[in-house]
Amino acid sequence: MAKHRTRGRTAIVGVGEVPTGRFPDRGAISFALDSVREAIRDAGVDKDTIDFVIPTGALFSPQFSNELATARIVEELGLKGVVSNCQVFSGGSSSTNALRIASALIETRRARCVLFVHTDKLGTGVSAQGGIDLFSTAGISAEWEVPYGQHYSTVAALATTRYQYETGCTDEELSAVCVSNRKWGELNPHAFFRTPLTIDEVMASKMLSTPLRAKQSNMLFDGGAAFIVTSAKEARELTPQPAYVLGDGGAVTHFAYSQERDLTRFGWAAAAAQAFGEAGIAPSDIDVAEIYDSYPIFQLIAFEELGLAARGEAGGLFLRGETWPGGRIPTTTDGGMLSKGHIGAGGSVSLLIEAARQVMGKAGARQVPGARFAVETATGGTYMDSQVTILGNTVP
Amino acid sequence: MATPDARPAKPRPIVNAWAQPFWDAARAGRLLIQRCRDCGEPCFYPRIACPNCGAAALDWVEARGRGSVYSYTVVQNNAPSAFTADVPYVVAVIRLEEGVQMLSNIVDCDPSAVACDMAVEVTFQRLDDEFTLPKFRPVRR
Repeated sequence: MAKHRTRGRTAIVGVGEVPTGRFPDRGAISFALDSVREAIRDAGVDKDTIDFVIPTGALFSPQFSNELATARIVEELGLKGVVSNCQVFSGGSSSTNALRIASALIETRRARCVLFVHTDKLGTGVSAQGGIDLFSTAGISAEWEVPYGQHYSTVAALATTRYQYETGCTDEELSAVCVSNRKWGELNPHAFFRTPLTIDEVMASKMLSTPLRAKQSNMLFDGGAAFIVTSAKEARELTPQPAYVLGDGGAVTHFAYSQERDLTRFGWAAAAAQAFGEAGIAPSDIDVAEIYDSYPIFQLIAFEELGLAARGEAGGLFLRGETWPGGRIPTTTDGGMLSKGHIGAGGSVSLLIEAARQVMGKAGARQVPGARFAVETATGGTYMDSQVTILGNTVP
Repeated sequence: MATPDARPAKPRPIVNAWAQPFWDAARAGRLLIQRCRDCGEPCFYPRIACPNCGAAALDWVEARGRGSVYSYTVVQNNAPSAFTADVPYVVAVIRLEEGVQMLSNIVDCDPSAVACDMAVEVTFQRLDDEFTLPKFRPVRR
């Protein structure tokens, strides 16, 4: 495969997002429409230049998800230039896969202006136990795992147990991830949890599945977001500071969680090698890391496998505040799913648009001064894939 | 949020036709895996073709039923509805001696006694008339 063919060829030119929360009186469609309208304004594009719409799936309702697949957003907003409305859904990695597809369409001139949109209503569209039950079947093998009581707490706990066994990572270090993400959540008006959190509070919370505690577990909310992708050339005409897509990489390593051969590494190293190779930068060049954090363990593993810390040493970085606001390597700066809230496939949509905001200089109180290069990670299902995207305010 | 009055029944495996010999054997107290006639690699869960080399010739072989705990967790709270009466229960990834991995439960022991790399052996627990699930217990010394 030819090298550096795609570096900086496309860019995110606009983002939109609604706050994460519980909105029983609002339909999920409203989160999508508000997000898209904001993204269109942010990009400064004419709505009718959008020629490709990529909605992702909504987990709370198959009926509603099908409406997204069948062009409801195009009709609601009267988008008149749309050639294709085509759903892209891979759970939590939908954002990366959609950006990869959008970039490919634009590079090959099959699309000019691609809109991606996510919305879901897991906070008020399903009951609390309904959410647990949904996530005891979604993406979990109905033949080989569901009958044994596997669900997302056990999925996270199984990786945590083995990782602690192999590296000596402590419960305190795992809890430090929650604290670090909360430091950022406090600065994000779109985050659900914005009050300070201490390691003691995390470690005193209810045990769910050993060693995983309640405050180390994400909670489900309503929310939505959108972003718009164009060619780099068009991006420069639209906005003074596009978020250039510098590189991406991925590795799909399993479907059934029990088939993963290394629950302490997954495919992150291979994905990162591809992404950094294409971007032409090194992990040490990264100014801000938006690392998928549905549970602390996955944030620690990806952080290390990307080369941002040595094996077994990420926990110490989080504990010492090197990932906090003002720290050496600001990490998961929107608060992540642990503080902003889990909105289905939107967990990594949030992180991707936060990475875009950071390199566009639009991150408000969370802005990392002089941020040039941001890395973002995403993973779907039971961490079936490892997806890495690198954005920059310049093309190296 | 209110707890449902009636707990749903335990989820039954949704069986792919080609895996039926596995479930028939489990009901008879035998743990089957597959082995590729071409490349010799063992395989679990049951496939229609070898995931290593792609050959369609997969033989059923009886596993020794011994392995080790690759990882585990003790479920204490927020279990799926059908499992709330079972807490605490142990979910584990087992590495069989043949090299394949499977999800199961560790039974017949104090959950706090389970550890990574602990030696375990298969035991069978009846779910209903149709299904018996292979589970694992510490190897008796």
